[in-house]
Amino acid sequence: MNLFNDNVTRLAARYPDLAASLKSAVGGILTIEPARSGVPSARRSDRWIHSAYDPIREADTWANTHAPACQAGETIVVAGIGLLYHVEALRKKLSPDITVAVLIPNIDEFHDALSARPLEPWGEQIAWLFGMPADIAQTLTKTGQPLRCLAYAPASQADADFHSAFEQALRRGIARQAGGQLTIALVGPIYGGSLPIAGYVKRALETLGHKVQWIDHSLHAPSYEVMGTLKDARNRQLMQSRMAEVLSQWTLATLAESPPDLVLSLAQAPLTLPVLEHLRKKKFLTAMWFVENYRHLTYWQQMAPGYEFWFVFQQGQCLDAFRQAGARHVSYLPMAADPVVHHPVILPDEDRRYYGADVSFVGAGYPNRRRLFPTLLRQPWSFKLWGNEWDGADDLRFVLQLKGARIDTATCMKVFNATTINLNLHSTTGVGMDPQADFVNPRTFELAACEAFQLVDHRSLLPEFFTDQEMVSFRAFDEVPGLVRRWLGDPAARQAMTTAARARVLNAHTYVHRMRDLLAQIGLSQPDRVGAVLRGDRQQEALVTRCADDLPLESLLKECPAGQRIELKDVAAKIRTKGPSATLKREELMVLMLDEYRSETRDLV
Amino acid sequence: MLPKSASNSRALLIQLARLGDLVQSLPAIEAIQERYPERPLDLLCSAPLAPVLARSHAIRRVIPWDGAQWRAWADQWTQDPAATLRTVQTYLASLDEIGYDRVYNLNQHARGILMTHLFSSHSVQAGQARQADHGMSPWARYLRQVAKERGENRVHLADAWCGMCGVRPRGRAPVLDGQEVELPEDLTAIGERKGLWIALVTGAGDSARCVSPSVWASWIREFLTQVDDGQVVLIGSGHERETGQAILEAVPTLLQGRVWDTTGRTTLTQLMTLLGRCRWVIGADTGPLHLATLVGSRALGFYFTRARVHETGPYGEGHWVYQYATQTQPDSWPIMESIELICDGRRRAAPGWTLWNSHMDRWGTFFDDGSGKKAVDLQRAAVWHSLSPTLYESVAA
Repeated sequence: MNLFNDNVTRLAARYPDLAASLKSAVGGILTIEPARSGVPSARRSDRWIHSAYDPIREADTWANTHAPACQAGETIVVAGIGLLYHVEALRKKLSPDITVAVLIPNIDEFHDALSARPLEPWGEQIAWLFGMPADIAQTLTKTGQPLRCLAYAPASQADADFHSAFEQALRRGIARQAGGQLTIALVGPIYGGSLPIAGYVKRALETLGHKVQWIDHSLHAPSYEVMGTLKDARNRQLMQSRMAEVLSQWTLATLAESPPDLVLSLAQAPLTLPVLEHLRKKKFLTAMWFVENYRHLTYWQQMAPGYEFWFVFQQGQCLDAFRQAGARHVSYLPMAADPVVHHPVILPDEDRRYYGADVSFVGAGYPNRRRLFPTLLRQPWSFKLWGNEWDGADDLRFVLQLKGARIDTATCMKVFNATTINLNLHSTTGVGMDPQADFVNPRTFELAACEAFQLVDHRSLLPEFFTDQEMVSFRAFDEVPGLVRRWLGDPAARQAMTTAARARVLNAHTYVHRMRDLLAQIGLSQPDRVGAVLRGDRQQEALVTRCADDLPLESLLKECPAGQRIELKDVAAKIRTKGPSATLKREELMVLMLDEYRSETRDLV
Repeated sequence: MLPKSASNSRALLIQLARLGDLVQSLPAIEAIQERYPERPLDLLCSAPLAPVLARSHAIRRVIPWDGAQWRAWADQWTQDPAATLRTVQTYLASLDEIGYDRVYNLNQHARGILMTHLFSSHSVQAGQARQADHGMSPWARYLRQVAKERGENRVHLADAWCGMCGVRPRGRAPVLDGQEVELPEDLTAIGERKGLWIALVTGAGDSARCVSPSVWASWIREFLTQVDDGQVVLIGSGHERETGQAILEAVPTLLQGRVWDTTGRTTLTQLMTLLGRCRWVIGADTGPLHLATLVGSRALGFYFTRARVHETGPYGEGHWVYQYATQTQPDSWPIMESIELICDGRRRAAPGWTLWNSHMDRWGTFFDDGSGKKAVDLQRAAVWHSLSPTLYESVAA
């Protein structure tokens, strides 16, 4: 116990509360056993946290992997306690101007660590983070320092919930503070459900003040569709895949013209794995928001290593599956609504009659819908069905509107707003309800944003977004007729619910919220690139402050517009705008020379 | 710090282009030095090529320009602009020779122009720091036009650069002294044994200008079969190692003992040593051919696609170039003809190819295909008269 007491006494000087908690902790989380090398190693729940042979060497390897990326001025937040070999190794490898902070999710585990190993002398240079995840996150974000999160997985896995909560809180905290201006290339699909989402994402990013370059492949949809008319399936697939390859190269060529800070793709964006690998080699940062059910659309398995960041709207097994397939960073990012498009509309009576009904459904004719919807016929309420791919659903043909034509967003909004009860049944390829009902579809958020009442099939993630006072869900389809009867007869309750649901969307579930989270997550992993821009380090004011001791540069920067992100090319452009008779200073010539090298066309294509 | 001349007047020549252009700058450098012997002349060139002209007596100092480092600094700007600018300032100060009284810039691109101003002792106006046609000298405009339209030009690039620098060609080709550097042990025998040593340039900077390994293998087979004491040295950079191997494998086993594959195994100075030990250097890549002329070897070029004998043929007296008639990839090669030329001095054109021989006169180097020199002389004199009237008068006088 002397070792433990020595450690706690030293900690008490800087962390009295933590020391007091340690004294009342009992430990017993880790099983300490000597490694072959003679130093203590540890197991937790029968799993080795450190090497049973040589924990010091193992920690060195871990630190060697991560240390090169750490930059001066950053705070490195380490997840995973164990016996702290990895923390010691990392601390020794980093310069003193890099702060190392360690999360303590479990005080008993920390107790065990301090009983087994001395903290001296390296422990003095560690910041210990103890408390609730949200509080720790808030403290860290308030410092305004660039943060970089590292995980020592063998030790952090056991406290996954703590770390997940911490990461989410940190992401939100950083997202709230973000203020810089990124240049983002947004790569959309040729067609499909993610195409309108690309538009919402674009607007959200622009709302946040970022520059968006939309690489819009929907322009090529007519050609792609024409190829789809080829009768020979092999020829059809060959031609369409060739076209996707050409569009992938087209994306490269577009990126080469004006390299962005981030390439953000939406699901089905035509970027091939070789092209993504090429972009990675050329130091482009790529991210994909996979707004598809990972169980149904499985091409991500081949693409997983291609993108630096993946964002998915499913959790748990989905995240594990992506990691196993080779995704380096995968994060949860749910769907949302765009209030500019999805909002309440007062329709003329004629439209209300045409688009309205007691019950409506808008969507494609998936097998489960074909099977379940006939029970909604011959009821005392009216029912309209909108959407395409309903061929062969003969019993539904009398309620199918517009002869089963594809419904555009404007029509969709009219139906949502004109309908008393909107039915929202998530698609599956099976014949009943979705047996793995986890994610929440965009329709849920869109209907809520329209202040339109909906009955949605229950999803395990639904309570994360809406309470029972904001959303009505059903777990079995035979509940639907009863729910329809009940809610048709209670307009006031419907109104209360839709008002609350819309407010919730506006407060937390718009694409602006999602994009803020997405960028904060990337910023956390890239504190010196995207993170620096988001912190405002590249804004004119910040640069002027940082260059205050450098008069020539300060005066150059002061000539650039305030409130704008200023890069080398902007300073060079400013110099070039000087009249032909203006005498250039030496520093200005140097800036022009640097810009010449910056502007070298990247050999991408 | 280097000693300065009594007048403190110093000059700098900027040449950032590739190997061939750097070597072709030497006639201008020597002409400048001959014209202004009291004024020390420095050379600024791409860092990897810095050793090439370091032995020239006409150059006081070679300043290596590290483009890769500048690219890294440009990237570093985003992290810390102030530190980046300080680093650049420190770097330029370390070159010790900022403030040249005269800067000769042979590169008409933005970097060359900026460099001219960075190293010049005179202040610069914003309009001058931009790349613009109106700021170009008559010779620079002429070269740009030749590059664009090709035409009937007969003024060699190296001589045009003399004109650009305001000096007339010296009328003799530069030769560097014969100082050799140490070669890898297994290559030291090259050129030492008696025989006709030929260096073959296996690659080219532009893949469209490469001669295929099978053509080279045919050339080697014919040459070694006809010349009992012939020896062939394959030269090239690390990129050409596979080509070298492919050539060697296509040569009959019995002849392989007389083929020396040095591709990817030599530094630039070692390459110069190797070239100097060979009587002839043959190839399509102009860079090594120019280098060969500097170390006293005779050059024989196969020029096709964009390569043009009159502007970029090997500089000096007694070199040869087979020029393909069109700008396409040749479908036949002057193998037997070129072997006869180097072995017996027999001058024979090949189908689709014209054979040119280099000469020197008061306007520098020119190439002749046997059809007469007078018209060529008049054409070049007219260009000099038009672009550098004063120099023209001094030559004529």
